[in-house]
Amino acid sequence: MAGSTILEARNIYKSFSGVPVLQDVHFEVKAGEVHALMGENGAGKSTLIKIVTGVYSKDEGQIYWEGKPVEINNYQDCQKLGVACIYQELSVIPPLTVAQNVFLGREPRNGPFIDYGKMNRMTQELIDRYQFPLKPTTVVDNLGIGQRQLIEILKGLSQNSKLLIMDEPTASLSGREAEMLFRIIEQLRSQGVSIIYISHRLEEVYKLSDRLTILRDGKNAAVLEKEEIIPAKVIETMIGKVVDESAGSKKMLHSDDSAEVRLDVKGLTDATDRFRNISFQVHIGEILGLGGLIGAGRTEVVRAIYGIDKAASGEVTLDGKKLNPSPRASILEGIGFVPEDRRNQGFIPLLSTTRNVALTNYDIIKKNGAAISDADELDMSRRAIKAIDIRPSDPDKQVGVMSGGNQQKVVLGKWLMRDLKLLIVDEPTAGIDVGAKDEIYSILEELAQNGVAVIVVTSDLQELLRVSHRILVMRKGDIVKEFKNVEVTQAMVLAAGQGVEQEAEK
Amino acid sequence: MKEFNWSKYSKPLILVAFVVILSILRPKAFLSLNNFSNVLWSVSVIGIMVCGTIFVFLIGGIDLSIATLCAFTAVVVVEITHLLGDTPVAVCVGVVAALAVGALAGAVHGLIITTFHIPAFLVTFATQSIFLGLAMVLTNNKIVSCTVPAFTAIGAMKILGFPLPVYFMLVMAVISWFILRKTVYGRYVYAVGGNSMASAISGIHVKGVSIGCYVLSGLTTALGGIVLASMTQQASSSTGSGYTNDVITAGVIGGVSLLGGEGTVPGAIFGAVLMGLLNNGLNLMSVPSTHAGLVKGLVIIVAVAFDAMQHADQSKKKARKVKKRGESV
Repeated sequence: MAGSTILEARNIYKSFSGVPVLQDVHFEVKAGEVHALMGENGAGKSTLIKIVTGVYSKDEGQIYWEGKPVEINNYQDCQKLGVACIYQELSVIPPLTVAQNVFLGREPRNGPFIDYGKMNRMTQELIDRYQFPLKPTTVVDNLGIGQRQLIEILKGLSQNSKLLIMDEPTASLSGREAEMLFRIIEQLRSQGVSIIYISHRLEEVYKLSDRLTILRDGKNAAVLEKEEIIPAKVIETMIGKVVDESAGSKKMLHSDDSAEVRLDVKGLTDATDRFRNISFQVHIGEILGLGGLIGAGRTEVVRAIYGIDKAASGEVTLDGKKLNPSPRASILEGIGFVPEDRRNQGFIPLLSTTRNVALTNYDIIKKNGAAISDADELDMSRRAIKAIDIRPSDPDKQVGVMSGGNQQKVVLGKWLMRDLKLLIVDEPTAGIDVGAKDEIYSILEELAQNGVAVIVVTSDLQELLRVSHRILVMRKGDIVKEFKNVEVTQAMVLAAGQGVEQEAEK
Repeated sequence: MKEFNWSKYSKPLILVAFVVILSILRPKAFLSLNNFSNVLWSVSVIGIMVCGTIFVFLIGGIDLSIATLCAFTAVVVVEITHLLGDTPVAVCVGVVAALAVGALAGAVHGLIITTFHIPAFLVTFATQSIFLGLAMVLTNNKIVSCTVPAFTAIGAMKILGFPLPVYFMLVMAVISWFILRKTVYGRYVYAVGGNSMASAISGIHVKGVSIGCYVLSGLTTALGGIVLASMTQQASSSTGSGYTNDVITAGVIGGVSLLGGEGTVPGAIFGAVLMGLLNNGLNLMSVPSTHAGLVKGLVIIVAVAFDAMQHADQSKKKARKVKKRGESV
């Protein structure tokens, strides 16, 4: 599969204000390979990619393109060579069609006018060649995130890119969309396009990559060939410690029915039929995992319990008391909620850690008359920072500039400052590095030990098995399966979520 | 090894630079208590208004009806004073009525904007025309003068060498600063402006907070209208014309983001005072009014560009710090 070397970066050094970020890093991508780049947050992946794409200048070292030394000083330089970067934040324009987006700024002309016929034909050719599930004339507004991402890729391909850089491409995709992306990646590889694939999701990397470069603390930790990519080994190389990976694929569930019922949901039904007749209980000190595919209605159910959306019918009681469906009322009753879309729903980016942590807690922060006690507010923030190791530890730091893991800790931290009875977390570790994931799991486990009931909604099967005491699986708006006091595997949960009968997977 | 934080002090520094330049160029005319008092008097109406409008800016809204609501409330106070026999009590009733009208106008703005999810600029653009119409109807489109001593005292009475409106401005600034900096409501305003969805999930009544902001804006606009009518001893549909621009400009010069979530009361007051100094300086330098607009526009661009540069610099530094700690993904 692997051809000649297409891109090579040799002896790259880079430091910011005297602090070395990359030291003597080598990186090599061959023609037609999917080359994964892994490492914990801060390992230097992002810096390396930014040097390759001309966003940063390097301090030392040399980049070679197809064997020749090149200088890449800006993104245009790298586009000219044939490198396209698919960023996490997509830059497609919703009111335009697929073709208009692909050829934005480079529209084929007929005299002074845009030749739409030709543009659509050119787009169709590209689509046919790489078998993308798209149509040139569809308006982007009607497309999901996954398909929008494909447009970005198509844009890169239309400029004859030989190397695509994908930074966390599946971070905001559903399972189905991710599958589609993987198929496309296979397709591109077979057409000789090279791909640098940056992801936190280990299983994707195992599945897709031909080779894997691991960075640790700004240095090369390893370059692994396909047959060497073994989960336990990768994690060990990445974080420098041994993690029991095999434990993630199956688990013996234990739940204690004798504990008192904390949350009782009866017949909860959505007004727009996204879920119906949902009934379940969560006990004191129990972590209930809600599994299922994306779009199964899990997020909608927990949003209704917390009171963001109002259910059409049904009843929710906490410790025997009927809940009023509103976030404010839920908070006062002792419910905490960590939403799935961290950036848009979780925190206020412009505000500091202190203001974000305090946001739900002004009822318990001291006041002098109408004035908030700044000292008490700061004290709460310091306690949160200390309790869950938020970094940077500066309480005045804007949350918007922190890393994803620390942003999530801020979102979580504000609930830990209250007397919680129930904590609902929706996709708690999406886009977060391995280290921070572990920390978040221990926080959830500790809460449960202290008697808090926890509901975890997650599409990450390994995570679901790891944290749950009991698992409910939803499918198309119904609870279809309960796993309780049995040994459960990832495959069993997946099968239940997809409506496949159990014997099928055996 | 702490670097000198230029951005933090850039605003007072600009003010000082202005004062120094004008002191050198026109020492006698500029450096008098009387002139300072004049500058503050002339900016007080804008200063008063921006203390309320900043709330609307902070939640990412805007109020285009400031000028005509100012005219409408000015007309209300003057007409009611006349109607009730030009007594001091009549003045009091008029003032209260005008403030009530301002608050009500704000509440209507807030309700329409949050209930029907219509952009603030559209709603206030429409009401601007309504307020202008109301002011015209109430006055038969004439100028109504009012020289009742109890009324003219609001704008002209001096305490310790400074006219009353300057104190109004200071009091409003302190109240507004206190609400934004010290109260839970103030915290919620910044949160809603920064991310309204996250605020709602955090249990904040986003609609209530937003309506409150428009009410405060209406109240200060009405107070500005009352003071302006008193200063000029008259009210008409053109009272306060041009003030929408001036108030927004004062906010923007003072570093208040029109996108919401960012800005402080001292910053906004700085913006108002800088505009006053500029007008005063142009006046003292005998710049003809035909050229004054030109110079003003240029200075505003320089001030805003300066602020934007500071911001860019800051965010670069931030980015660098994040990188340094190795926390970028």
